[in-house]
Amino acid sequence: MALKDIFLQHPDRRYIMFGGGGGVGKTTFSAAAAYWLASQGKKVLVFSVDPQASLTDIFKQDIFGKGPVKIMHNLWAQEIDADKHIKAYQQEIRQKILDMYGMPAVPEEIENYIQAASAEPAMEESAMFDAVVDVVMKGDYDYYIYDLVPLGHALYYLSMAKVYDEWINKVTKLREEMREYEEMVSRLQHKKESEQDQILKELLYIKGRINTSAGILTDKAKTAFFFVLIPEAGVINDTQKAAKLFAQFDVPLSGYVVNRVIPHDLLGQNIPEYLRHRIAMQDQHLGKLQASFGDQVLARAPEMERDVTGLPMIEKLAGIMFA
Amino acid sequence: MSEEEKKSLWQNIRETVYGMAAHDMSRAALRTRASMEHLFILITMGDLLGIPILPPYYSLRLLPYVVPQIATWKRRMLREKDAADAMF
Repeated sequence: MALKDIFLQHPDRRYIMFGGGGGVGKTTFSAAAAYWLASQGKKVLVFSVDPQASLTDIFKQDIFGKGPVKIMHNLWAQEIDADKHIKAYQQEIRQKILDMYGMPAVPEEIENYIQAASAEPAMEESAMFDAVVDVVMKGDYDYYIYDLVPLGHALYYLSMAKVYDEWINKVTKLREEMREYEEMVSRLQHKKESEQDQILKELLYIKGRINTSAGILTDKAKTAFFFVLIPEAGVINDTQKAAKLFAQFDVPLSGYVVNRVIPHDLLGQNIPEYLRHRIAMQDQHLGKLQASFGDQVLARAPEMERDVTGLPMIEKLAGIMFA
Repeated sequence: MSEEEKKSLWQNIRETVYGMAAHDMSRAALRTRASMEHLFILITMGDLLGIPILPPYYSLRLLPYVVPQIATWKRRMLREKDAADAMF
């Protein structure tokens, strides 16, 4: 099966992810897939969940922290600025405390907590997670392409949905039980209905967001996850290990795409031994790949003659990937 | 007997019955509710005591609502033994 067929046969898979080790071409393939889909008349957003995103480089346009930026007809790109997002959010929390209690300033202890919580690495991750929920919940696009972080981290990101999902369900349940006790006391004391629980309201809001995101990330009908790899022993081993781990988190794996295959045409030319060895090595690894993944290997992209940056090169690569 | 005195008599009877029958129950329920409140703050705001909380982004969202309870909660979490433990 070819990469193109996956898209044609499963038009409902609107959330597309390219994952893989560092430097294998995740961003390049994300951009190429976005380009191809846009040229097929679909409205596409490609966005990065990586704080060191490189969509800016690939599109040769500064898009960091600028919201969705139009690249060409039907194609938008976005790089989320987690820091900016967290700062605005902190301010929102402070303002809410001031408004709720009519305080002149946020109490020191609380302020310290706000600052400490925001300094944790987990804060950036959960903020990014929430920003992505915002992006996909708006539903303005036909396709959403996630330019993911390298393997281990991507697994962490994907598993976050599942872990948060469990956390929020437990917390909400506890809150609901508390609510029952409150109502019981109200009845015993013949009071009128106890006032609405604002925390429960917030929890249900958070729950809605997390559930939506977790639902998307693990739904084979809506989501396609592709592993990007290059024909090298280390990368293939890592990918095989990762594939097993990803399966445990119900990541809907759709197939593998191989990048940086040295063109065989070169063999007919006068090339150095060095290059002949590399081609032979790649052939051996490609054979192994075919043996272990078979039909799931969907596309092979060649080692290009220059960096894939700018639309003409992206177009060229997309043409090969979706041939 | 004036209307007001009648009312207050009725009120007294009502309160006595409540005191005999339901007061303990509602007190127990309130105590359980208070314990749950502290548990709830612990699993959402544990960071305040150095217990890492998974999605800090979302727990921060709840912070404004628990601001008044934070002080009592911290006291309760940090004290080693509670005099009330022996009483109840």
